[in-house]
Amino acid sequence: MASAKYGRTARSSAFQWFAHRITGTFLIFLLITHFWVQHYDRVTRSISHDVVTAEQAEEGVLPRYTPEAGAAVEAFRARERQAPVQGGPPAVTVQATPDGGAPRTPEAATTSVTPYDVLMLRLGDPVYAVLWKGFNLLFLLFALHHGFYGLNNILTDYIRNDMLRVGATALSWTLALVLFVIGAYSVIVAGL
Amino acid sequence: MALAPDVRPSPVQRYRIRTGMLAWVFHRLSGLALVGYLVIHVWGLKAITNREAYNALITSYHGPLFKVGEFLLLCAVVYHALNGLRIVLIDFVGWSPNQKRLFWTLGAVAVVLIGVGGYPSIASLVDHFAR
Repeated sequence: MASAKYGRTARSSAFQWFAHRITGTFLIFLLITHFWVQHYDRVTRSISHDVVTAEQAEEGVLPRYTPEAGAAVEAFRARERQAPVQGGPPAVTVQATPDGGAPRTPEAATTSVTPYDVLMLRLGDPVYAVLWKGFNLLFLLFALHHGFYGLNNILTDYIRNDMLRVGATALSWTLALVLFVIGAYSVIVAGL
Repeated sequence: MALAPDVRPSPVQRYRIRTGMLAWVFHRLSGLALVGYLVIHVWGLKAITNREAYNALITSYHGPLFKVGEFLLLCAVVYHALNGLRIVLIDFVGWSPNQKRLFWTLGAVAVVLIGVGGYPSIASLVDHFAR
């Protein structure tokens, strides 16, 4: 049999093949949500309209966020003050006003809100955090499984040497596991 | 099919370039690029546990080169997602007779998605350099 020539790694893996299609389909919906929340929605997006060069970043310039994001951060902090979460971010009043003068970009922007404050709207909120951390864990698991299964399809196609192929497979799945542990730990701990 | 006498097997695999083969090659290449990006991205996102580190990371994501990279990433994701969807439809719904037409239809959808989705990155760059 041809499969015997290539050793045990060429065994059928119908479940993995099926899972690859399922994770792929789910990833489309997860990615649409991710893209909307992180790049498009004016309140929650981490990536704002600003371009910050490396020199500006070294001077301590942060990307600016929309007045809507500023208002949401202010409302979040007001809620925190009423029901302080143990170990949460310090309750500091922030004026969510656009900076004076002509804005640098067409989008009126708020300077008092940092990327971390915007992140905490989702991961620092006791109710939303459960949903978003669940979303992020599912996203992480599916993306890693889908990506590394696909990578292994390519590795097993082109690496003819048995030892090398098994080694590459073991190494790549180890990397995936390490990334899952790091990613899951970071997501769970964030904002606590 | 018999090979022509002057055709010798090459040590490098030879592929016949047709629509389906092209789609497959780009699917693999975009997939490899996305796995590479995923590794860097998950590793970088360790920063979400620390205010200063996270602010620095997200600020670096606003660099001009990153905005270009963001757009290229979107192109790779949209292509990989739509071609993957085509594969799923062929495998599970039996759309193989339509696969070539499906490829070009999804190509048109991809152009629209890249245009709408890529607008924020491109507009930021235009505003940055027009200042």
